[in-house]
Amino acid sequence: MSVSGTRSMGQSIRFANRTIGLAGLGVMAVLVGLAGAVAPAPPDAAGAAQSLLPPSRDLAFGSDALGRDVLSETLHGLSATAGHATLAAAIVIVVGALGGFFAARLPWHSGLVLRWVARILKSVPALLLGLVFIGISGRSFAALAAGLAIAPAAFARSYDRALTLATSRHAEFARATGVSWTTLVRRDLIYELRNAFLAVAARALAAAAILLATVSFFGFGATPPHRDLGLMIGAAYATARASHDFHAWWTALFPALALVLLIFFARLAAAAEQEP
Amino acid sequence: MWRDGLRLALRLILGLLGAALLTAALSLLARPEIGHSLSLLDRLTSVLHADFGVSRASGSPTALELAHRLPATLELIGLGAVVALLVGIPLGLLIGASRTLRAAVPLIQFAAATPLFCVGLALIWLATEGRWPLGAQGYLPLPPLAGSDLGAEWLRALRAIALPVLTVGLAGAGAVEAALSRALAKALDEPYRRGLRRFGLSQWEIDLHYVVPEVAAGFAAQLGEIALALIAAAAVTEWVFQWPGVAALFVKAMALQDWPVAAVTLFLFAAFKFVAEFAGALAARSLSVAVP
Repeated sequence: MSVSGTRSMGQSIRFANRTIGLAGLGVMAVLVGLAGAVAPAPPDAAGAAQSLLPPSRDLAFGSDALGRDVLSETLHGLSATAGHATLAAAIVIVVGALGGFFAARLPWHSGLVLRWVARILKSVPALLLGLVFIGISGRSFAALAAGLAIAPAAFARSYDRALTLATSRHAEFARATGVSWTTLVRRDLIYELRNAFLAVAARALAAAAILLATVSFFGFGATPPHRDLGLMIGAAYATARASHDFHAWWTALFPALALVLLIFFARLAAAAEQEP
Repeated sequence: MWRDGLRLALRLILGLLGAALLTAALSLLARPEIGHSLSLLDRLTSVLHADFGVSRASGSPTALELAHRLPATLELIGLGAVVALLVGIPLGLLIGASRTLRAAVPLIQFAAATPLFCVGLALIWLATEGRWPLGAQGYLPLPPLAGSDLGAEWLRALRAIALPVLTVGLAGAGAVEAALSRALAKALDEPYRRGLRRFGLSQWEIDLHYVVPEVAAGFAAQLGEIALALIAAAAVTEWVFQWPGVAALFVKAMALQDWPVAAVTLFLFAAFKFVAEFAGALAARSLSVAVP
């Protein structure tokens, strides 16, 4: 196959990736929005069924150790995880991506100090940094902590891209011909928003969903009765470990599948933009 | 060359200094409990003198607690790195060499979207329900390299630690694959390959003398990110498999608000990442070749 043929096939696959990713996120958004109406039971409705019933025609996803309907719990858990991840992603965009963009344009290279701080913060795994922020702010602010923990990586990436733009030949030419600083910044911001916003937002959503689910699994995130997917999986594992009985796979599998799908669709939407 | 080395050394020192500052700032959070009235500068001075304070939970020096747990974490990360290289290198070469495959990767990497704690749980479930001859019980120190009945001892130890090591290795393999495929894709797109063909060099000579060193340099430059991925994987794996390592100590420290222990653990991980980044950057510079 010729190089141009390979390129066009690559572009087609990327387009398909993005379409699938965005469509999947759209379906999940609808599920999250309608979780209260679609779910057969309200959140944390213990005793709705016998405990640890396997999936059947009546209970599509089975029931957990407290007799809660796993389908309803998964929908409510998805709603909690996706909602908090969206909030965390918004923080990543504002503090990380926009912060990096403007820091690269601060006078006297003062943005370098902020870039150094971002480098230090991203030298430890975002998960551990997130735990530190939760330790400082409290579990109620887990979404904020997750956003701040992921932001340094987004800040550094955005700073480096913005610096390349700000020192490019077109920017030098524009300055030499009298284009004002604000016009140039506005033009670069529009360019960045058009080309990178979707990738940054989707990547942040995926990273935030992973981080929030993991801290909840560890017991640092959501608190009952407001369970998210990480806490559901953690509770299923704790029950199995305590009883040395791993047969009730459905109590962990369905929440895990919902989590994986959320991350997968977000990554598809992001990767479509970031591939060369 | 020496200027590059000096610049990289300065970058390493600034990184370590920043990590020390972060450690000092975090350990200040414990100040009211331990009755100290130290300033940030005092704490920074103490950290730079390797005085990391005392654990709020156990009352013993934090450095001692860390030293006690470090071998288990190093064992996990070291063996996980071996698995990561064994799985990640062939994958990286395969994906990096094909533009179509590269574009399709996000679609086919459904497994890569799985959070690591889910991977660990899936392995535990498979091992338990499938009656695999592998333990999910956690840490077992590796036996010495000499002694009687060495093969059986090593087999027993490797079976016991196989699942945690596999979990870390799979996460690391993702980072290795990403670094290698990116470096290979970049090298294969370089216009000098066509230019050197016109000079009369065979494809084999070009690949061996120019592409391979460039790919190796690109890969080495990502060593810091690979180290970070392994540390993050170790943190999750230690918790899932109850592995008595440094990362599990960190999570427990956070639960108990034991800030001195949390701070020194973060310093250790940051230092590990910065040193790996420094070594990788040095290797990348020494591997890079000048293209005529």
